[in-house]
Amino acid sequence: MTQKRRVLISMAAALAIMPAAAAWADPAGGGADYQKLEHKYQQLQEQMATMAKQMSAMQKQQAALKASQAKAATTDTAAIDREVKRLYRRVMKDSQKISNLEPGNIQVLIAGDVNFQFQHVDGSASTFYADSSPMIQVRVDKNIFINTAFDFYTSAGAAGGSAADIGAANINYELNNYVTLGGGLVTSPIGGIVGQYNPAPWNRWLVDGSLEGALLPPNELGVWTRGGLPAPDNMGYLTYFLFVSNGPVLATTHDINGASYNNLGFGNWNPAAQNGKTVGGRFSYLPIPNIELGYSFEWSRPSADGSITTTNSLINAVDINTYYVNKKIDGLFRFRGGWTWDQVGQGIDSTGAFSLGGMSNGGQLEVAYQPSLCGIKYLDKMMAAFRYDRIDGPAAANFSNGASHEQRYSIGLDYWLHSNAVLKFEYEFDNLSNGLHGNDAMYVQFAVGI
Amino acid sequence: MNLMKYKITRSITITAAAMGLVVMAGCASNKSTKSSSAAAKPAVWPLTIKDPAANESGAQIWAENCMRCHQLRSPSQYTPAQWGIIVQYMRLRAGLTGTQAKKVLAFLQSASAH
Repeated sequence: MTQKRRVLISMAAALAIMPAAAAWADPAGGGADYQKLEHKYQQLQEQMATMAKQMSAMQKQQAALKASQAKAATTDTAAIDREVKRLYRRVMKDSQKISNLEPGNIQVLIAGDVNFQFQHVDGSASTFYADSSPMIQVRVDKNIFINTAFDFYTSAGAAGGSAADIGAANINYELNNYVTLGGGLVTSPIGGIVGQYNPAPWNRWLVDGSLEGALLPPNELGVWTRGGLPAPDNMGYLTYFLFVSNGPVLATTHDINGASYNNLGFGNWNPAAQNGKTVGGRFSYLPIPNIELGYSFEWSRPSADGSITTTNSLINAVDINTYYVNKKIDGLFRFRGGWTWDQVGQGIDSTGAFSLGGMSNGGQLEVAYQPSLCGIKYLDKMMAAFRYDRIDGPAAANFSNGASHEQRYSIGLDYWLHSNAVLKFEYEFDNLSNGLHGNDAMYVQFAVGI
Repeated sequence: MNLMKYKITRSITITAAAMGLVVMAGCASNKSTKSSSAAAKPAVWPLTIKDPAANESGAQIWAENCMRCHQLRSPSQYTPAQWGIIVQYMRLRAGLTGTQAKKVLAFLQSASAH
């Protein structure tokens, strides 16, 4: 019950009682007492009306006060938000201006990786091996980027020694939010795994590369456009990488640029035989960031090391790359897979004694698990990895030993000392077709990414 | 062989057309960010692309995308200036949009500075 109601009820009760009390005090009715009482009654009525008005006014004031306070609070928050955003934009703009004015606007970073390993491959002498792959990255400005990568490594053979190679030498220009143009020597996007492994070996779970890599070009020398863009209707992202490059060499004898007879050899940086070029690219779709599905193609008129004059080749490849991190599995699960088909068309030798035609294909399935969230010291830094990889040649002559396909099962155990330093152990079971036993291998490697 | 050539020619034509649309979309997107009045007109894909990265944090983009290919590197491993170079390189490698790369860079530089 409010105060106003209590006052009104009290007043009404008093007014009801007063005439009765006056009649009881003066049964005769009338007289001075009655006049006094009536006067008093009127005074009380007036007072009650005044109080009612005052209370009403107070309630109105209170309501108005509350409304004004609420309005003030809303206005202040919105104004503060606006001011914060304005200041943030101003600071970002000014900091950009300042950085542009500072000397040393061209920035350089030396990155890359270094590793050493011990390996024992059946049929070969066991050996230590070392590799250093520095990268020089230059940020010319916010749109222009230069990347150069080298590879220095110890070489096998009775004489021993060392070798040097170049892995990248390219200039890139960011045209807009979704398009970058580039030219030079770059890691090939075909098949996905070459890029995902790079920089190897720090970024590989297993020491030895996949057999599928023999069907894929490691680099492209040419021009390209690449980038990423959102898929329509917020359905994830798309990436693309399209290029025109020198393309591969067709091997007509064993071990031409690392390829076997009737296969494509890569590393065609100085073609002497033909002007044929390659058109290729890779598209990938990421429905969610954890999953990438890729398709690649590369069509070319390969330069031949022999007298082959007319032939085409087409590489098709599909790949998947995914990971899952969850406390339910106590860590990280990774899966990479891919398959590549290299089709070499008919070639005609000038002597008429040589012909080509057929398809090589190969692929790999690779899984790894790291209990990174198990909470057990040391165990959370271990990663177990397994890979199945296979390569099929078009003919029995594909491999120098007469086998037509090779498949391997590799198991590995890694220990991540740091996010960029890993110690790996791997054992590889190698099998060839026709019941031939391949070259099983054992590797121990320590790699650091810079 | 003729069928193969036809397929290849068709693939290249479609790819070139798609690339043209992407370039147009990128330019249209740049324009729309410069002029707020352009937002009043209804956008039709692919002439204007709405990048969902605008609603994602840099930390989220960093964690979800970088993890796909390698172990996450701590922001404190490099200076803010070094991150500027690395993110420009990794934008190319990972196929990130410019918006995504900017957000990742802002996060890494902020975390590195602290």
